[in-house]
Amino acid sequence: MATPDQTRVPLTSEEEGLKDLNADYTERYGFHDAENYLFKAPKGLTRELVEKISEFKNEPQWMREFRLKSLDHFLAREMPTWGSPMLAEVDFDNIHYFVRASEKPERSWDDVPEDVKKTFDRLGIPEAERSFLAGVGAQYESEVVYHQVNKDLEDQGVIFLDMDSALRDHEDLVREYFATIIPANDNKLASLNSAVWSGGSFVYVPPGVQVEMPLQAYFRINTENMGQFERTIIIADEGSYVHYVEGCTAPTYSSDSLHSAVVELIAKPGARIRYTTVQNWSQNVFNLVTKRAVAEKDATVEWVDCNLGSKLTMKYPSVYLMGERAHGEILSIAFAGKGQHQDAGGKIVHVAPNTTSNIFAKSISKDGGRSSYRGLLEVAKGAVGSKSKVVCDALLLDEDSRSDTYPTIRIGEDNVDVGHEATVSKVGDEQLFYLMSHGIDEEEAGKLIVNGFIEPIVKELPMEYAVEMNRLIELQMEGSIG
Amino acid sequence: MSSLLEVCSVDELEPGSCRIVDWDGDQIGVFNCDGEILAMEDRCSHDGAPLAEGVLDPESCTIECPRHGAIFDLRTGIPTTLPAYIPVETFPVVVEDGLIKIEVD
Repeated sequence: MATPDQTRVPLTSEEEGLKDLNADYTERYGFHDAENYLFKAPKGLTRELVEKISEFKNEPQWMREFRLKSLDHFLAREMPTWGSPMLAEVDFDNIHYFVRASEKPERSWDDVPEDVKKTFDRLGIPEAERSFLAGVGAQYESEVVYHQVNKDLEDQGVIFLDMDSALRDHEDLVREYFATIIPANDNKLASLNSAVWSGGSFVYVPPGVQVEMPLQAYFRINTENMGQFERTIIIADEGSYVHYVEGCTAPTYSSDSLHSAVVELIAKPGARIRYTTVQNWSQNVFNLVTKRAVAEKDATVEWVDCNLGSKLTMKYPSVYLMGERAHGEILSIAFAGKGQHQDAGGKIVHVAPNTTSNIFAKSISKDGGRSSYRGLLEVAKGAVGSKSKVVCDALLLDEDSRSDTYPTIRIGEDNVDVGHEATVSKVGDEQLFYLMSHGIDEEEAGKLIVNGFIEPIVKELPMEYAVEMNRLIELQMEGSIG
Repeated sequence: MSSLLEVCSVDELEPGSCRIVDWDGDQIGVFNCDGEILAMEDRCSHDGAPLAEGVLDPESCTIECPRHGAIFDLRTGIPTTLPAYIPVETFPVVVEDGLIKIEVD
C-alpha cells in the first residue's frame, strides 16, 4: 500500500473518480421527480398519523390495533447503543412517514402516473420485466404503484401481491404469518415498521410449484426526508421454490431519509427460498432493516445480500433452522466508500438436528469508509450433528478505511462441526506489481483484485444482476488505486 | 414429589393482571386471562427476560416478552413467534377455598 506521502498525488485522481461516481449516481439513480402526490404526511410520527394510515388502507381492526401497540413499543424503546455511532444522527422527527403517489397498484405500466412511470422506465424496470422476470412489484414512496405476475404462475396458485392488497384479498393467510417471524417488539426499528408499514410484497407459492424465473420488487424513494417502511412475507409451501430479488435507489439529497423494512420468510418442508438484495440507496439514506427466515424440515433458505449504497446500513439477515436437515446460507457483500458505514452480516440458529449452514461475508472499504461484519452462529441444545462454516473476509483499499469483525458463536451441543475463519487484507503493492508486470495498467489491476475477491458471491447473482453489480463496483473503484 | 405453592386469593388476582411468586429461587408468573388462571416460568427462553413485565393479552391468553417481543402461549408455554423457539415451563393451577395454588415439583 502506498505511504501517505505517496498518496498525495493520486488523491487527485481519487477525487476525480468520486466526482465521476456522484455524477453517474445522480444521472442514473439520483434524480428526482416533481411531487404530484395524492397525500403527503407532514414530518413527524403521531398516533393520529398511524390511525390515518390504517384508515387510508381501510384495514381490519386487528391490524389497526397491531399498529398502535407497535407505536407504543417504538416510543418506549431506546435506540440501540451498539452498532454504528451514526445511529445517533437518525432524526425521527424529520421524516415524512407516509406519502401516497397513486390510488392503487396498477397491472399495466400505462396506468401508472406519468412521472412515476418515467422514473421506472429510466431505471429499466419494465425492460427487465419483459426480458427475465416472472413478476414485478414497483414501490414508489410508501406504496406499490405497479404489480404484475405471469398468468401461468397465477394459474398455478402463486400469489404475488403488494402487502396492502394481500391484506385485503387474503386476510386469513396474512394474519396467520404476519409478525410471527419478526414480532412487533423485536427491536426499535421493527416496532417502527410495524406501526407505519406500507407496501412491500406478499408471496405464497403452493406445494411443489417451482417459480423458475425470479420475482422482483423495486423500491424507489423520491421525496426528501422520506421514510419508507415496506413489509414483506414470503411463504414457500412444501417442496416449492422461489427466487425473490429486490433493488432500490433514491435521489441524492443533502438531508437524510430512512428506510426500515421488515422481511419474513417461511420455507415449509423441502422448500427453497432464495432472497437476493442489491441495495444501492443514495448516500443520504439510513438503511435499518430486519430480515429473518425459518427453514422447516429439509428446507433451504438463502440470503444473497449486496450492500453498495446508503449512509449507514445495519442489516443481519437470519435463518432459524427449525426442522431436521434444514440448510441456511448467507452470502453478504458490503462496499463502504467515503462517509459510509456498512454494518452487515448474518445470523444462523441451528434448532433441529443435522442442520447445516454457511455464512460467507466479504467487505471492501475505501476512502475512509467503514465496514463491519456482525454475525451470530448459534447451535441449540438438541441440534446434534449440525455443521456450520463462517468465513468473513475484509479488503481494505487504503490506510484511512476501517473494517471490524464482531462474530458471536454459541454452541449448546457437543456433537457438532463448526468452523470460523476471518481475514483482513490490503491491496498490496506486490499484487499490483505482479499484475502490472503482465501488462495490465494500475487501475485495471485494482479492479481485477477486487473482482476476484467478490467473485464467489457475485457468481450467485442472476446474470443480469451480476453484470450490474460488477459495473457498480468498477464505478466505485474508479481512481481508487494509486 | 409435587407440592402446592400458595399464590394469593382469587379476589386478589384481577382479570388481566399477574402475580409473581418465588419458588426455590425461580420466579413463576401467575396470570388471570379473563378468569382462567395460568402459571408459567417468569423467564424468556430466548434471553432470560422477565416475561411478566411484558404485555398480557387476556383474549389470546398470551404474554409478550418485554425485551424482544417473543409471544408465548400461557396455556402451553410454547412460543408463537420468534426469536424464542424453546417452550417455557408451565405449572398446573388449582383453586382451593378461594386460594390460588400452583403445583410444583
